[in-house]
Amino acid sequence: MADKQATVYVIDLGPTLSRVRPPRGESDLDYALTYIWDKITATMSTGRKTDVVGVVGFRTENTDNTMATADGYENICVLAPIGQFLMDHVRDLKRALVPSRRKGKGGDGFSAICIAVDMIMKYCRRLKYIRNVVLVTDGRGEWDDEGCEEIVRQIQEEGINLTVLGVDFDDEEYGFAEEGKDPRKARNEKVIKKVVEACNEGDQELGVFGTLAEAIYELGKPRLKKVRPVASFRGELTLGNLETYDTAFSINVERYPRTAIAKPISASSYTAKTEKPGSGGSVSGDGSVSGGVDLQAVKNARAYQIEDDAAAGGMMDIEKDQMEKGYNYGRTVVPISATDETITVLETEPGLQIVGFVPVEKYRRYFSMSTTNVIVGAKDNPKASMALSSLIHALFELESYALTRLVTKKNVAPVLVLLAPFIDADYECLIDVQVPFAEDMRHYKFPPLNRVRTISGKVLEKHRFLPTPDMEKLMSDYVDKMDLMTANNDEDEPEYATVDETFSPVLHRVNQVVRWRAVHPDEPLPPVHEILTKYDHSPENLLEASTDTLKKLIEASDVKKVDPKVAGRKRGRERPVPKSGLDVEALLTSAAASSAPKKAKISSTNPIPDFKNKLRTTEDLSDLEEAGKEMLAVLKELIKYSLADANYGRVCEILKVMREEYIEYDEPGMYNEVVQGLKKAIVSGELDGDRMECWDEIRYNKLGLITKGESERVEVDDAEARKFLWG
Amino acid sequence: MSETRRWTPKDDDVNEDEDEEDSQQYLNQKDAILFAIDVSTSMLAPQELDDGDERGKKGSTSASAVLTALQCAYGVLQSRIISNPNDMMGILLFGTEATKFDTGSGGGGTVGGTAGGYEHCYLLLDLDIPDAEGIKGLKNLIEDPEEFEPLLKPAKEQVSMANVLFAVNQIFTTKAANFQSRRLFIVTDEDDPHSADRALRHSSITRARDLYDLGVRIDPFFIHNPAKGGFDSSKFYDDIVYRSPTDEEDDSQTATSGKMRLKQMVSSIKSKSTPKRALFTNKLELGPGLVIGVKGYLLFKRQEKARSHYVYTGGEKAQIVKGVTTRLAEETAKVVDKAEIRKAYKFGGEQILFTPEEMKAMRNFGEPVIRIIGFKPTSAVRFDMNVKPANFIYPDETGYVGSTRVFAALHAKFVKDEKVGIAWCISRKNAAPQIVAMIPSVEELGDDGVQITPPGFFLIQLPFADDVRQNPESKLVRAPAPLIDRMRAVVKQLHMPKGYIPEKYSNPSLQWHYRILQAIALDEDMPDQPTDTTLPKYKLIAKHAGTYCREWGEELEKLAGNLATPAAKTSAAKRSTLVKGEGLPRKRAKAEDGAEGGGEGDEVTAAWRGGGVGKLTVAKLKGWLEGKGLDTSGRKADLVERIEGALDG
Repeated sequence: MADKQATVYVIDLGPTLSRVRPPRGESDLDYALTYIWDKITATMSTGRKTDVVGVVGFRTENTDNTMATADGYENICVLAPIGQFLMDHVRDLKRALVPSRRKGKGGDGFSAICIAVDMIMKYCRRLKYIRNVVLVTDGRGEWDDEGCEEIVRQIQEEGINLTVLGVDFDDEEYGFAEEGKDPRKARNEKVIKKVVEACNEGDQELGVFGTLAEAIYELGKPRLKKVRPVASFRGELTLGNLETYDTAFSINVERYPRTAIAKPISASSYTAKTEKPGSGGSVSGDGSVSGGVDLQAVKNARAYQIEDDAAAGGMMDIEKDQMEKGYNYGRTVVPISATDETITVLETEPGLQIVGFVPVEKYRRYFSMSTTNVIVGAKDNPKASMALSSLIHALFELESYALTRLVTKKNVAPVLVLLAPFIDADYECLIDVQVPFAEDMRHYKFPPLNRVRTISGKVLEKHRFLPTPDMEKLMSDYVDKMDLMTANNDEDEPEYATVDETFSPVLHRVNQVVRWRAVHPDEPLPPVHEILTKYDHSPENLLEASTDTLKKLIEASDVKKVDPKVAGRKRGRERPVPKSGLDVEALLTSAAASSAPKKAKISSTNPIPDFKNKLRTTEDLSDLEEAGKEMLAVLKELIKYSLADANYGRVCEILKVMREEYIEYDEPGMYNEVVQGLKKAIVSGELDGDRMECWDEIRYNKLGLITKGESERVEVDDAEARKFLWG
Repeated sequence: MSETRRWTPKDDDVNEDEDEEDSQQYLNQKDAILFAIDVSTSMLAPQELDDGDERGKKGSTSASAVLTALQCAYGVLQSRIISNPNDMMGILLFGTEATKFDTGSGGGGTVGGTAGGYEHCYLLLDLDIPDAEGIKGLKNLIEDPEEFEPLLKPAKEQVSMANVLFAVNQIFTTKAANFQSRRLFIVTDEDDPHSADRALRHSSITRARDLYDLGVRIDPFFIHNPAKGGFDSSKFYDDIVYRSPTDEEDDSQTATSGKMRLKQMVSSIKSKSTPKRALFTNKLELGPGLVIGVKGYLLFKRQEKARSHYVYTGGEKAQIVKGVTTRLAEETAKVVDKAEIRKAYKFGGEQILFTPEEMKAMRNFGEPVIRIIGFKPTSAVRFDMNVKPANFIYPDETGYVGSTRVFAALHAKFVKDEKVGIAWCISRKNAAPQIVAMIPSVEELGDDGVQITPPGFFLIQLPFADDVRQNPESKLVRAPAPLIDRMRAVVKQLHMPKGYIPEKYSNPSLQWHYRILQAIALDEDMPDQPTDTTLPKYKLIAKHAGTYCREWGEELEKLAGNLATPAAKTSAAKRSTLVKGEGLPRKRAKAEDGAEGGGEGDEVTAAWRGGGVGKLTVAKLKGWLEGKGLDTSGRKADLVERIEGALDG
């Protein structure tokens, strides 16, 4: 749980803010509101009731505040009292946040701060809150610093963070100075700065004064959500068995996540309450976000069934209390009653037990399978911290990791984790990561990259799969030139693309878009923040420096893109050859010439090879067509004699092969004829009754008509293909 | 077909996570393996297992090739039940005197009938997802010579390989129709079955080509036949086995050497028992204008227990209950069609709605690509920067000719200078972009010449700044040098010089789970003691490091005396209040753990007696649950329920 927080935004709504100052294409108020809305929606997106917001406007046309009767508090309006900010508030506030048309005095900025401070004091009382007042202004209104010491004292007493941001304020640190500044504004800037900085004179740094441009620039930098550390394990790190050996030892430790993937907020499913046409994100007349009131949630309802031939539709409904839990062992179902449920659970005791120590250089970094955790000594236990420290240093000095068995809770499955030492000037800990078990490995084989072995077993040093010495040299140069360790212009942090400067693109993009849409219901999605795509390409300075090397490398590499269509064709026409290189075709034709009749019919026992063989051995179109007819007969026979769905898989496989082959042979029409014939036979019921399930299967495998997108030689479009499959 | 589809859990899973979905789909590409084992006099003759083999040492000195192959098949069967529960397997013996061939599927019209077509083929285990009876039968056969011997009698005449291959063809077409992967493992020591009969030889070649056309891949395991002085695959099998020139499997070394011994066969079969499946096909961009093709694979993935199902036991046989999800509108309880569903984000008490196109667009960061943005030294990929198992990539020539040599050049450079690539990676269409570090792996072969580590690149997903948590508060108490020295002695004693070898550690809870299921399914005696290789070797630890541990302990006690006690007061004020309320119960609960259920002084138990568990704070409830080793997740109501459940007994 994050800390409770109360923030009051104080916004200058004076008439001067309606001005549009080039090069900005928006009014100063809109410019300031970019910042305000971003901040407010960021707070809203946490969805926390304890993160509250209030809004005060000054230099407004009216006066509406608690001290309205007192002198000097004119033209200040509380636009939103402190509370959780909801969409209704957004809509109300949007209407209120327009520059006033009133000229003249009134609406003192410091008075507005007073109102804000007062609101916070009343709301937070003595409770534990982070208190903030954020003010934006163009500095052209009234700023009377008489009696400001009192405000500063109060701010310090309450511990309120005061931030004042000004449109085009001078800022040495940021490096901005407005040219031809209005003397009145210049004076105001000085006064405000003095008051804000006075807040820093206590024991806390409370005041921040700056130019708005910097704040808006900072908005592009994603904000990190702080998560309070929650222990993922508390217990003993042991070496040896404490029960049986008096030499065994244990250290009281705590374990906290170091990495955890931050997921973007997830969308929920809704459906319209009343069926209105076109309710797809449009905006209703009064400017409210569409569907806000018209949606209802969608929930899942589960029903349970078993196959029962006697029941209607072949399925019988089962009540929840008729069911037990169970597992599959192969095809066999092993029911396990509720009382035995723990029978398959391995009994374990919580703990972190050292198995042994492995050298760092032998560890394969790619074994790491999980997020990582930090292990420190138990809180308030200096003895444990010191004991752990000795292990951390010993591991560090011996360049070793500790292999340990971790059980986080009683009867939880054990995992093996490696513990690595981490030592900093003021922090020491172990980092753990899970490593694979034997069952987690998949032993796929791949040919070596540094040599090529022929089928006969000869090892080659030169081959088109192997790089030339020239290529190797250029590759080496290229890699050296594209070194990221010094690619940052920042001298303190020369490494480019560190973890700290890379942000989850999807997470921040979804956040940005949702918040944007909340305030701008009728505008298209905003562009992606630059920082999120900064690392999708190499830094320019490196690319420039290595252009020549890369060019030469590309020439030496001579990579050729393959046209996917050509690739398919060519393979289809190639005659398969066994390892020996034997020409099976020649062997068979010579054998066939002497004995069997030349055109064997496709048999129903071996249809796919027969079909492929027929296609391979003929150049004759009529033979191709004949093959299709024979295959259709085989398909019909398979369906007709299928016990229930026994042969449907074969039907689909045959259709799949035919579909591919006819596309490759550029005769898609022949396939379409076959599949149309088959559908007719299925629909008519001539294949021994209702065979629509077979058609379902065909549909599931997407084996409908070949469309013109797949082959230019047919005229079937997607709509027709869909109609054929589903109609 | 539909039989197997029913087992896939796809409609039970309602999850939005795209990665999960992908790996799900990846698992649903089914695989079928058929073992074809040659039964001949020489295959049945006992052979020495390789020297150095443990079984050899123990005294059961030899086994026949057939028995070893069957044991191996049994092992594969058991491990596939865990790793590939939806995949099929079968065993066909050939060359037996007995004939048994009935794929039992009703055939397709004119199929069957010709019972005489498959002489000396004995279908021991029909190709299917294994069931308890089949497994038990196989087990009995291996363990009981009385079952084994009468069945495994070699025929007097040479079996026709053409018939064997056609039998295989029929098994695959009828039982594993429309499968993604179909593989035939032939185990034989006969390198030239039809040396005298040209016609049979030719028809074998035809039948082998039929299998190729069907997409059945033949993986031969040739056994060294001492009587013949080896195995020459060029005599017959090179005309049977097909390999495309770009075939990625590197099996030539063992297959052509003709020296494969039994032990090698075992490891070789095991290594092939998981079908190789690519996770993605993608482009690897080394720089603007230099693009090659790669395929991605998942070489490490946490193997989980298969999900439990609901089972209906009211019928004759236990049956899996199928769950059907319907989506209902919350208020009207009307069934909602998929097309009527809109996605919206909860925000400020309302829903922010987007069109389906916008939902897609906001997550779209371009086409799939692995784009290297530069290079860093290996040391830059720190130990703590990890979130997921790594993916493996290997060059793919189909899209870009020349990919392999470019990949190889980059690989060589990385290995030589200990470099890694840093890349922007969108692994599949619409996948979330990641920053990955490309780490090279160097090929490693085992003692038996079988590849252990493939050469290529591993892509390690680096955390974003958002994924890194801040360190917990911890007061630094640095150990003085003498204490470190003593710990160093301990670490040195328990040094494992070979490093971490995953093959040595089975997942104990996974194995136990399936061991119990097997016992129930096969009606075996319940095992009483799990084998757990992850437990430390206590005896050895005490023996090797005991003295050093004691010395370390003594030094620690000595130093601990000087430590300023209760550090509690030094920490922040809010902590001191916590220590009073929450810190202590935790410790107390721990102490109770041994004494189990001591109600005295236990606030939670007291509250339970008074019926007021719900009145306690969440922190207290959690502390209590944690002390009992129970789950502490969930809302307060869940916690209360869990506590009451535990105390109600």
